[in-house]
Amino acid sequence: MTSPIPNSVTPASPVDQSLLYPSPYKEFWQAFARNKGAVMGLAFMCLVVFCALFAPWVAPHDPSEQYRDFLLTPPVWLEGGSWQFILGTDELGRDLLSRLIQGARLSLLIGLSSVVMSLIPGILLGLLAGFFPQLLGPSIMRLMDVMLALPSLLLAVAIVAILGPGLINTVIAIAIVSLPSYVRLTRAAVMGELNRDYVTAARLAGAGLPRLMFVTVLPNCMAPLIVQATLSFSSAILDAAALGFLGLGVQPPTPEWGTMLASARDYIERAWWVVSLPGLTILLSVLAINLMGDGLRDALDPKLKNAA
Amino acid sequence: MSLLQINNLNVRFGDANAVPVVDGLDLTVEAGEILAIVGESGSGKSVTMMALMGLIDAPGRITADALTFDGTDMLKLSGRQRRKVVGKDIAMVFQDPMTALNPSYTVGYQIEEVLRQHLGLKGKAARQRALELLKKVEIPAAESRLDAYPHQLSGGMSQRVAIAMAIAGEPKLLIADEPTTALDVTIQAQIMELLVNLQKERNMALILITHDLAVVAETARRVCVMYAGQAVEVGQVPELFDVPAHPYSEALLAAIPEHSIGAERLATLPGIVPGRYDRPAGCLLSPRCPYVQDNCRHQRPPLDPQANSLARCFYPLNQEVA
Amino acid sequence: MAVVLSARELTRHYEVSRGLFKGHALVRALNGVSFELEAGQTLAVVGESGCGKSTLARALTLIEEPSSGSLQIAGTEVKGASKTERKQLRRDVQMVFQSPYASLNPRQKIGDQLAEPLLINTSLSKAERREKVQKMMEQVGLRPEHYQRYPHMFSGGQRQRIALARAMMLQPKVLVADEPTSALDVSIQAQVLNLFMDLQKEFNTAYVFISHNLAVVRHVADQVLVMYLGRPAEMGPKEDIYEKPLHPYTQALLSATPAIHPDPLKPKIRIAGELPNPLNPPDGCAFHKRCPYATERCAKEVPAFRQVGTRQVACHYAEQFL
Repeated sequence: MTSPIPNSVTPASPVDQSLLYPSPYKEFWQAFARNKGAVMGLAFMCLVVFCALFAPWVAPHDPSEQYRDFLLTPPVWLEGGSWQFILGTDELGRDLLSRLIQGARLSLLIGLSSVVMSLIPGILLGLLAGFFPQLLGPSIMRLMDVMLALPSLLLAVAIVAILGPGLINTVIAIAIVSLPSYVRLTRAAVMGELNRDYVTAARLAGAGLPRLMFVTVLPNCMAPLIVQATLSFSSAILDAAALGFLGLGVQPPTPEWGTMLASARDYIERAWWVVSLPGLTILLSVLAINLMGDGLRDALDPKLKNAA
Repeated sequence: MSLLQINNLNVRFGDANAVPVVDGLDLTVEAGEILAIVGESGSGKSVTMMALMGLIDAPGRITADALTFDGTDMLKLSGRQRRKVVGKDIAMVFQDPMTALNPSYTVGYQIEEVLRQHLGLKGKAARQRALELLKKVEIPAAESRLDAYPHQLSGGMSQRVAIAMAIAGEPKLLIADEPTTALDVTIQAQIMELLVNLQKERNMALILITHDLAVVAETARRVCVMYAGQAVEVGQVPELFDVPAHPYSEALLAAIPEHSIGAERLATLPGIVPGRYDRPAGCLLSPRCPYVQDNCRHQRPPLDPQANSLARCFYPLNQEVA
Repeated sequence: MAVVLSARELTRHYEVSRGLFKGHALVRALNGVSFELEAGQTLAVVGESGCGKSTLARALTLIEEPSSGSLQIAGTEVKGASKTERKQLRRDVQMVFQSPYASLNPRQKIGDQLAEPLLINTSLSKAERREKVQKMMEQVGLRPEHYQRYPHMFSGGQRQRIALARAMMLQPKVLVADEPTSALDVSIQAQVLNLFMDLQKEFNTAYVFISHNLAVVRHVADQVLVMYLGRPAEMGPKEDIYEKPLHPYTQALLSATPAIHPDPLKPKIRIAGELPNPLNPPDGCAFHKRCPYATERCAKEVPAFRQVGTRQVACHYAEQFL
């Protein structure tokens, strides 16, 4: 067989691989959706958010209206219940379902605001500790160590005792208590990223400190922070419930799931629904958020590993 | 009978329609011979050996007409049976010695673990044997190194320890997956010499997986060139390097800087290895081959014997040279 | 031709703490390196791990200040430079790193990464920056659509092109390339090296090309500097070094490099042992413990880096190899 002459026909241009990749958001959603628990958690949280946003229209009754004739009415599926009060009423005749729906607002508010209030200073302190490991690092981390040494609930109680009970002070207390974990996470992530070549490359391009901190390094540290934020959200709800249970958080008659639990303590045997239903709501919300957090972590981390 | 016989090996990650990472590979290795498997990333060379060792987990699926080692059908082995063979009769040395050793245990402990598992040695006998092995792989001051931790050793030393662990079970086949890529040139030369000496001494078969053609030229007898999961040429060294039959072999050889001494530019093959989304229907090299003809794009060529080697090409090169 | 990079007796020491009770040890990572580099020329720095080439790279790119010695970039002395001078120096020297996977920011679009040097250092408008970026992308073989993509969507070879494009955005006078193709396959390496040469011709940039791959170095270099344990061993024009290496370490390096067509008549120089501990370097010549020609003088006296013919060598007996 004679050897072939290389022909002048140019070979068919190969397909450009990078154009076949889905956009990063689509890729993230596909990875997230693979985790069924996470999707269910997301669905439940969407329901909660919906209730919170449209509470006045969704709730069948006014949460603070007391129906004197219908004290401690059982839920609709029990003997003596009625469709007027689907989940029954509490000891003052207030509709439980409406109070739960209204309470969603507060819980979400507490969760969101405490996360934001601790995330922002936490990231800043963590960045400073990571970028100045000799100058600022030790002092910041020792402060955080002191805060971590105290049991978080006790610390929150102490803060609320100083500031006084109420919604805003509850949020402040929870924010302070969650601060150390964000600082630690950010610092660890920053120190890991600072050794990477792309940070050196940014320095070589002349990037100043603010740019290095917020544009180059911080976006690459977000994955563990996002996961921690979701988990903090759920523990914020729990902490607010605990503070409310102790009488230190949100004050009655504001419907908050924890205070509802507290005021119904005495009725566990007579009217279990007044206690159990708020408790169940707290349980389901925390579970949903944690499942979402798991899903987020699985969806965000592998992508980082592939890119590494 | 060959020591290792692989017929029509396919490895896929995903369902039966997923793109194969190893596509219809045929390979034989005789006792005591040195075979090199050469290819670039994505060629499937490492996955082939992992499939042989049973190190591919779901969602990877392995199918083959035959995958026999020393008469044993590797596909039909249970986990326990496989553990008796792998690590003893077949051993592997990996690329990065720093991560191949467990950082939490001493070097001596890790070698003794292999001896315990596969040869049943315990206590003093195991320690003595471990010391002999360290001396065999030319580690200076072997006595003190037995109690050293991996992070206390350099790259070259760690690789010697990894080799010691591999030969501890007196294997019939040693697979070395890029054993010197992470090492300096002078250390690389020492390690390659060590491997070849051990191989000769024990009449061990050695499969050398590498992308460095020069190392192959100096060490191996036979070479198998892989591209995108297929074996495209199998032949003798140095004949395959002097007179390549497959256009990809020729392109690989042309791209190395030694073949362009004095030239302004290095000869290159345009394009990249086909990925998941654009595997050609015909010959896998057809989008990039400078000699492509029409039928190359539509039919897959078989691996056929040519003048000097087996080549997977309808129009092999250099065929007049006998 | 203008000298764009001038180093004289560059030295970099590190203090390493050895625990609470022992004093600090001094690691002389870089110990007196001098050279001059002209525009459009390539100086290859060759050596194994621990020779100081990474430290040299960090000193040349102004990431670290040398402990002593002078460094001049385009005529401006680095030590004691004013703030405006420093800004200009920052633009004049850039770097390409070894790992294509770590040198790009995973969370930034590559178009933005390419525009970043312009954003920081120039006062061009957004549209002007975009235009320059597109032009550079075309020059390195990327498509305009790639602007929006993230690094993980590209192959290793493409990422190195992006890294090279980013380094050249400011048209620096000096580019330090730290093993830019070591992590790439042979055929991709050829493509990327060709790109390096094309860009050098276009922008007349001086390259400091650090590599341990002597075959690649032979292709790209004009001058070669061989380093051992922080000191220069030999430096001279490429062909002289490859045809007739004078320093025993250079001879060993060249001999240990595997060749695709091995010459059976050329004896293999195998040097034993490993790099000495940088915390405890030997007296006299750093190489004498492994050198086949070492004498008593070598163990006592540090050889000067002196002119022998067309090059400089640090060996007492360099003349005997001429």
